[in-house]
Amino acid sequence: MTFDPSYALEFDFGRGQVRMVNAGERVVIPSDALLALCHGTNDDVVRDFGRRLGTEAGRRMNDRLGEAWQASLETVVEHLGGELALMGFGSLGLERWGHALVLSFRHSPLAPSGDFLLGAVLEGAMQRSFGRDVVAAKLMRDGDQVRFLIAGYDGANKVFGWLSEGVSWGDVLSRLAGADRGAS
Amino acid sequence: MSQEIALLEKLLARVQRNAARPRAVLPAQSAAAASPAAPPPFAPPIEATSVAPAGLDDDLAPLDSSPVFESSPPEAAPPYGAGFDSSPEASAPAPLDHSVEDLLLADPFPSSSIPPAHPSLTDMLDEDERNLLVSATSPPPIASEDISAVMSRSDLAQEAPEELLEEDIIEMSPTSEAEATVPSRHDLADLNFDDEDQDSDLPGEPPASSPRHKVARAAEHLEIEEDREVPLKTPPPESGRQAAVALPPGVHAPLAPDIEDLLEADISPIGGVSARLPTAEQLGQTIELEEARGPHLELESALAAPPGRSPIDGPHEEFEVALPQREFGGGYQADLMPPPEARQDLEAHRQRMNAEARAPEDAPAPESLAQDPSQLPDEPTSGFASVSAPSNVTTDSYSESVSTVTVDAPQNAEFAPELLLRPELNPSPVAKYIRIDPLRPHTFLELLDASLSLGSN
Repeated sequence: MTFDPSYALEFDFGRGQVRMVNAGERVVIPSDALLALCHGTNDDVVRDFGRRLGTEAGRRMNDRLGEAWQASLETVVEHLGGELALMGFGSLGLERWGHALVLSFRHSPLAPSGDFLLGAVLEGAMQRSFGRDVVAAKLMRDGDQVRFLIAGYDGANKVFGWLSEGVSWGDVLSRLAGADRGAS
Repeated sequence: MSQEIALLEKLLARVQRNAARPRAVLPAQSAAAASPAAPPPFAPPIEATSVAPAGLDDDLAPLDSSPVFESSPPEAAPPYGAGFDSSPEASAPAPLDHSVEDLLLADPFPSSSIPPAHPSLTDMLDEDERNLLVSATSPPPIASEDISAVMSRSDLAQEAPEELLEEDIIEMSPTSEAEATVPSRHDLADLNFDDEDQDSDLPGEPPASSPRHKVARAAEHLEIEEDREVPLKTPPPESGRQAAVALPPGVHAPLAPDIEDLLEADISPIGGVSARLPTAEQLGQTIELEEARGPHLELESALAAPPGRSPIDGPHEEFEVALPQREFGGGYQADLMPPPEARQDLEAHRQRMNAEARAPEDAPAPESLAQDPSQLPDEPTSGFASVSAPSNVTTDSYSESVSTVTVDAPQNAEFAPELLLRPELNPSPVAKYIRIDPLRPHTFLELLDASLSLGSN
C-alpha cells in the first residue's frame, strides 16, 4: 500500500481554517517563528513539543497502515515520511548501518538549531507507532541533511560520549557495533 | 840555528824598545785610515714610503706624500752584529786579517829566513797594542768609496818601519760592497755602555778589550782560516730585519754557479761515454748472475750425418743443432744431477710416492654402495653410531595416529640418537571460515529492536 497524499489538507477559506484529513485543525506558521519559540524555552519543553508532533504523525501512519508492527522498512519510510512531509518537516530517509537504524531529514525548513526538535518528532513517532521508547541521537549534519541514530538509552549515552570526544560519526557506529559484537 | 837566534834576539830587542816607549795616542787620521772598512756611524735614513694611490687628485697628493712610517732610529733596533761592531776595537782590522789569496799563495814550506805564516805571540801582542791605541779614538765616518788599498801596519804607529817584511803587508780589499757598508756605531754619543756592562757581568768571561780575549779570537780566526769554513753562529732571538754578518776580509761567500755550465754538464756525457749508452743512473744496481751449474755443454759440429738421414736434413751451418727425433721425445739424460736445492724436495716427493704406493695394502676394502650396510663389518670408529644403519627396528604403535619406531642402538655406541617423529595426521580442515549473513530485517520493527539493543550490554 502506497502513501496517497490526495486531499490530505483542506483549506476552508470561508472559515479561515486548515484541516488535515483524519486530523484536527492545523495552523500554518512561519518556521523561523517556531524556531524562535523553541529557542525561548528549555529542552524539555521542546522535546515534549516535538514528541507530541511525532505522536500525531505515528498515529496517522498507524491509521493508514493498520498493523504497523508488520510493516516493512520501505512502507514505514513511505508512510511516516509522507505524514512528516505533510507537516512540513522535510523528506525522511532511512539508513541501515549493520544493526543500527539511522533516520535522516533532507530539505528541512528548520535551521540546524531545529535539529533537536526534529529528533524529538522522531522519538514521538517511534513511540507512537511501534511502542518503543527510543532516543534519536544526532550523529551529524551535512548541509541540509541531518542524521539521527535510533538507539536505546544505553547506546545513546555511549554515542553522546564518543561524539563529545571528537570521534567521527562513522567511527561511532563502528565502535557501537564492535561493542555489541564483543558483548555477545 | 844561528839565524833563529838572531831573529829571536831582534824580536826581544823590539819588544823591549816598545815597552820602554811611552804610549801615545794615534791621530784621528791615522785611526781613520786604519779602519778603512768602517761604515758611517749611521745608516742613511730610510726613504719615506709614499702610499698615495695613482688615482687621487693632485690636491691630495701633498698630503699623501707625507711619510707614513718614520724610519726607526738606529738605537731602537740595532742590526744583527752591532754588538760585535759596537766595540771600538772591532773597527780596527783584525790582527790576522790576511786575505785568502795571501794564504793560498803562501809558501807551504817556508824557508828559515821567512817567519812562519802564523803570527807569533809577539806579533799578536803588537797588534793588541795598536788596537788599544786605535780604540781610544772614535773613527770618523767615511764616505762609501773605493776602499781598496795596500798599507803597512807600521803606518798605524806613525813611525818608519824598521823592517818591512812580506807578512807585515796586508791587503785591504773588501770583497763586496755589503762588507764595506756594514753598519757600525762609532760615535761616542751613541755608545751603549749597558751592553758592555752586561757583557762584563758574565762570570768567567773576560772583557772584549782584554788581550786574552784578542788572543782567543785570533786563535779562532786562525782555525777558521785553516779549515776554510765559515763558522755557523746561531743568531740571537731578535725580530725584525737583521743585517748580515760581515765576513772577514778576503773571505767571501761562494758565488752562484753558472746555470749554463750546469746545463751543459747535465747534457754532456760523463767520462766521455756516448750519449746513446745508458748512464749509471739508468742502469741501476747491477746484479751479477751466478754461473750455470751442471755439466759443461758445448756445441759441436756434426762430423758425419747419420746413415738414415739424407744430406738435405742435416744441419746447414756448423753450429746448428738438429731437434731430437721422435724416439727421443720425453727422454732426458739420466746422468744429469739435480741441483743441490732440489735434492730435499725430490727426496720428500719419493717418500710421498712410496707412502701412496703402500696405502692400498693397509687400507680397508672399499665399501660398495650396493652392499647392505648391515652386512658391513662392525668397526667402532667413534662414539657415535650411524643412525642410518639400525640393526633391529620394531614398530610399537600405541595409537592409530602416532607411530613410534624403536631402534636398537649398536653395542658399541655410547650415545644413540633418539628419534622423535611427528604423528601422522589425517586430512582434516585446518581453517574455518565463518560466514556471517548480513541482517536482513523483514520488518521495520526488527531493525528497530536491533538498533535499540546496540550498546545496551
